[in-house]
Amino acid sequence: MGIQFKEVSFQYPSWGKQMFEAIKNVSLTINDKDEFIALVGETGSGKSTLAQHMNALIFPTSGTVEIFGISVTAKRDKKIKYNTLRQRVGLVFQFPEYQLFEETVEKDIMFGPKNFKVPEEKAREMAKKALNMVGLSDKYLTRNPFNLSGGEKKRVSIAGILAMDPDILILDEPTSGLDPVGKNMLMRLFQEIQEKTGKTIVIITHDMDLVYEYTNRVLVLSNGILEYDGTPNHLFHRDDISKWHLDYPTTITVLKSIKDKFHYDIDIYQKNVNDAVNTIAKAVQL
Amino acid sequence: MSYIDIQNLNFAYHPKRPILKNVSLLVDKGQWIAILGHNGSGKSTLAKTMVGLLDPDSGTIVIDGITLSGETVYEIRKKIGIVFQNPDNQFVGVTVRDDIAFGMENLGFPQAEMLKKIDFYAEKVGMKAYLDKEPAELSGGQKQRVAIAGILAMQMDVIIFDEATSMLDPTARKELMDYIRQLHNEGLTIIMITHDIEEALWADRLVIVKNGEIFRQGSREELLKEPDMFIEAGLELPVELQISNALKKRNLLSLEMEEHLWESSLKK
Repeated sequence: MGIQFKEVSFQYPSWGKQMFEAIKNVSLTINDKDEFIALVGETGSGKSTLAQHMNALIFPTSGTVEIFGISVTAKRDKKIKYNTLRQRVGLVFQFPEYQLFEETVEKDIMFGPKNFKVPEEKAREMAKKALNMVGLSDKYLTRNPFNLSGGEKKRVSIAGILAMDPDILILDEPTSGLDPVGKNMLMRLFQEIQEKTGKTIVIITHDMDLVYEYTNRVLVLSNGILEYDGTPNHLFHRDDISKWHLDYPTTITVLKSIKDKFHYDIDIYQKNVNDAVNTIAKAVQL
Repeated sequence: MSYIDIQNLNFAYHPKRPILKNVSLLVDKGQWIAILGHNGSGKSTLAKTMVGLLDPDSGTIVIDGITLSGETVYEIRKKIGIVFQNPDNQFVGVTVRDDIAFGMENLGFPQAEMLKKIDFYAEKVGMKAYLDKEPAELSGGQKQRVAIAGILAMQMDVIIFDEATSMLDPTARKELMDYIRQLHNEGLTIIMITHDIEEALWADRLVIVKNGEIFRQGSREELLKEPDMFIEAGLELPVELQISNALKKRNLLSLEMEEHLWESSLKK
């Protein structure tokens, strides 16, 4: 189960100009359990297009996306209710403003479950649970989502998707615009949700520090082609990632510069600041 | 006299939750200051009051000798421009050309002068080849540059960047930072609203805002002597300085290592 891409290509409709292919011949499998995946690549590489295929928001131009056993191809099948897939695979957009529209936070979060025919009272309960899951207290239920700060809006939009209890959660640049503290809180929250519920989480991001510290699989897109599918550790051991316009995580860059300058015999592949500090401390004390 | 003189500013949407509390701030002409704070600290609200987008409940804002009020707000907006976080929220023209023209049209620039300026400033921000493009055909970084061209064309003295880099990818972000450095070298006054210390370190002066109040201000050299102060303000040090700080606490930081980490934190 989960999601399988089989030779999927997608071209945006063109307006008399040259055809622009957003993704090309992508094949990959995403399990519906226990994955924490980062989807990376420069702006325009096709990340959002690929993500929107994962819950049939857009349909491939060629190839097949199989989502929980349902085939999504260029030809729409009138008998298939594609919107039921959006309950199993939840997508959180980059700009929460595009997703929030009700006058209270509670109504906003309840919208999804109600849309999928969950009774009012049950939906209310789910909304409360989802709100607490993203670290906001019950007193937010009556607030107007448009008067919240950027970080709070983001949490509410994530709660709206969590309330539908999807098996797979996809987040388009969830940390952009957040301060470092908010960023790490959100990433730890995803990690916690992932570990507690076993849901698969896919995040689109440009932040390699977060990729290295939190995720266990990376998909690299470049010009619409899936160039890499593997662990972050393998990816950052390569010396050619700049051809995909990717940077190395800061811990690796700093440890490498220290290794070169001070000639310490250290392992530069440390995922977070703590491990980096311990690595240097050990070398200094020798 | 300072170019920007803000005294005892207070602002609240609800009386129970003040956003700005008694904020006073001086900025000299040609200075680059960074207003640094966590999400919700009030830093963007402060920026919006400076250009008259929000009216403070009390306090005064004087810019180039003019006190900001309902009568003077258009006068002030000829002097001080703002680039916002989400590039989509400020693109008003149908094309790049219209967008750069927008501000000048409002100020009643003569047509011939306007056309000349559009060309000149589009070239300056590297967008001349895009003059007839629509916003949908531009990246976030390109839209930010168009916004800057519009501000420059009106010959303003000050540009406020309100988290203008936070939605950009790393490449576009670096380009914009390089460009801001160039503008500063040309004499523009830069006010950068950010939660990113790495960006703020480029400024002449850092103003740290916490819960609606000015928490600390000073040069980066001064403030970085107290790394824990940043954490107290809800901010995070660059990774290099976090490492430096942690080693120091364990008495394992040599002078050489400290210098190396400091320099690497500025290289990015």
